[in-house]
Amino acid sequence: MKDLVRQRLSINVDVMDLLNEQIVKEAHSSSVYLAMASWCDHNALNNSAEFFYEQSKEERDHMMRIFKFINDNGGMAISPEVTDIPHDFDSLEGIFETSLEQEIAITKSIHNIVLKCRKVNDLATESFLQWFVKEQMEEEQTMRKALDLFDLMGTDGIALKLIDERIPKIKE
Amino acid sequence: METIVFKSRYYTAYQPEKGRCFFAEIQGKRIKMTFCQLLAFRQKVLSIDIDAHFNPEENRHGIEILTLCNREHLFVLDTLEIIDLKMFVEGIFAMSELHTLVSA
Repeated sequence: MKDLVRQRLSINVDVMDLLNEQIVKEAHSSSVYLAMASWCDHNALNNSAEFFYEQSKEERDHMMRIFKFINDNGGMAISPEVTDIPHDFDSLEGIFETSLEQEIAITKSIHNIVLKCRKVNDLATESFLQWFVKEQMEEEQTMRKALDLFDLMGTDGIALKLIDERIPKIKE
Repeated sequence: METIVFKSRYYTAYQPEKGRCFFAEIQGKRIKMTFCQLLAFRQKVLSIDIDAHFNPEENRHGIEILTLCNREHLFVLDTLEIIDLKMFVEGIFAMSELHTLVSA
């Protein structure tokens, strides 16, 4: 008997399910960053707003990378449904704390898929995900750098404005 | 000539010797599926909320309407048939995985 599943699908089907779940997470993350950008825009934190617009775009790019990978390898990528996006935030510091937590959750999720790939010998997906492992390290570092600014400068008076001015440089 | 890929209580999946497709026998109807259609079928079946079948407020009648192969086929299935269908689709892919392991 020909193994039709293997002939048509280059990746493990359970890994494909996890990748589809990851698509939902990346899409959710993109929408949360968009909500954060909007909050920053309304609070005259223009540089932070720009930073989160860019973050939102990056998360969508990540989602599309996974989406195309699934389809290119014979799988079925599912267009994500995004719900429960928070729009109320207390402060810019709170936003960056939430961002770091979000990035850590995404990192854990990526690592979980890599471990599953190892378990089922899906070397193709494991190799594909290495880019994400590295990217997540950088994303976490960026958010930590932003939080360091709050530790260094505080949040009173002019400090918030000065932090906003320094936000474009934290990705460098 | 065809081989049974997986058989559950209510359903059977076959694979013909020639041709890149599957056949599924559901409620006495024989359905031809390409691999893409099989994946779509799997997705639909696995996303059915079986817990809702045990909650009269969510699924009063305990039935599910399932369309297959770009709405070419339509089935009305009860709770037991849905539970079996979930095991059926997982079984098809598990057998394929087993086949890959054995032939490796």
